[in-house]
Amino acid sequence: MSVTTEINKPKAILRTVMYGAVSAAMLVAVFSHTDAITSLFSLGGIYAALPIATVFAFSFAHGAFASNLWSALGIEATTKKTAPRPAESVPRPAQRPRARLRMSA
Amino acid sequence: MTEHALEAAKFIDLTWMNVSFLFIVGFIGGLVSGFIGSGGAFVLTPGMMSLGVPAAVAVASNMCHKFPKAMVGAYKRFRYGQVDLKLGIVMAASATVGVQIGIKIQEWILGKWGEAGSNLYVSLSFVFVLITVGSYVFYDAWKSAKVTDADPVPKLARRLQSINLPPMIHFKTANLTISLWFTIPVGLLTGLLAATIAVGGFVGVPGMIYVIGASGLISSASELVIAFLMGLGGTVKWAMAGMVDIRLTLIILAGSLLGVQLGAIGTTYVKENMIKIVMGSIMIIVAFSRALAVPQYLAQLDLISANQSALSFMNMVSFALMCLALAIGAVIILGSMIKAKRAEIVNRQVSETCENV
Repeated sequence: MSVTTEINKPKAILRTVMYGAVSAAMLVAVFSHTDAITSLFSLGGIYAALPIATVFAFSFAHGAFASNLWSALGIEATTKKTAPRPAESVPRPAQRPRARLRMSA
Repeated sequence: MTEHALEAAKFIDLTWMNVSFLFIVGFIGGLVSGFIGSGGAFVLTPGMMSLGVPAAVAVASNMCHKFPKAMVGAYKRFRYGQVDLKLGIVMAASATVGVQIGIKIQEWILGKWGEAGSNLYVSLSFVFVLITVGSYVFYDAWKSAKVTDADPVPKLARRLQSINLPPMIHFKTANLTISLWFTIPVGLLTGLLAATIAVGGFVGVPGMIYVIGASGLISSASELVIAFLMGLGGTVKWAMAGMVDIRLTLIILAGSLLGVQLGAIGTTYVKENMIKIVMGSIMIIVAFSRALAVPQYLAQLDLISANQSALSFMNMVSFALMCLALAIGAVIILGSMIKAKRAEIVNRQVSETCENV
């Protein structure tokens, strides 16, 4: 019923390391200059673009890292055949069809 | 206001304990969000506040992590063919109006009864909405699990879909056609709830299932589109006021991006009604948690008299129950994923044995 999507494990591991390094570098950059970055990012107004751009960039790197990490660990989506959605069960008619007598000559 | 936020952000001491707590809650919140389309925010904001973060900074930093998390989750589930982009955008448009209505109501209550009145309103909304909707979602999941494996179209949705009230909209992925007028109230209520309890998905997902008639899988995936669009709008507003603490946001995001993808993968392993079971369970536990916070606000409004130590104990139990709700959701998701994976391995082994014979 379900078919596991094929993964290229060595490729996934390589990508995990690569994107993991980018994501870690971003975290190190922020946390090694905490005071300067926090003051700049909380200035408000036009500076609102800074935290928003940062989370977009971090989501790209860390999101790709997370996706490849699960693939490298063998946790991948399965493609299921979705069953058609039935309408809610309709109650059966109370009356049964009457039995007929057939005469064969 | 900006200076205040900056001072507050500098004031917070980030220890390894704090970082670990935020990362773990971010991961579990992400896991639940990736699976049911929402959740996690209700624990993160009070969680950050318990670490000493001011309420406004906690809300802003939480929202700033919510929209990229929803974006990644929506992208992942879009690749699995579960997202109805049009449904998400149509719902988000009316939800945005709902948020504005919700803010107006909050402002009015705040002006009339102060902060305690506003907190009481939020808690009562939590209890009323989550008990009503959560119980029905839970009952429906239990009923549909007994009757059939597939997710049937609810009666109300079938009736509404049959009414030809222009403009009619066809949602391709959800495979349904319904009048725009029936999607608007669902979107408005989603936004209203998002502005009140910060988790619009607790009305949005059941609304899309029972009123619009989309399946649980499509509804929870499309809710991520709504969360992304609304979260982005909210973040712009908070960031312009200088309230986002980027350190808190990045720590939570580091955990939640791992969780949201695992939750999205989980939806491909389990039966569709599992989404309803997880959602219903979380909603009912959270409702009890908020009910425990009500006496504190009633006491602040001088409507009842209560012992201070008893109130603080109830407050602590309330927060613990919220964490428990999230943890139970995560356990059900991971448990059902492990169960489905084991069954798949057994099936594969059986088919390989058959082929060899």
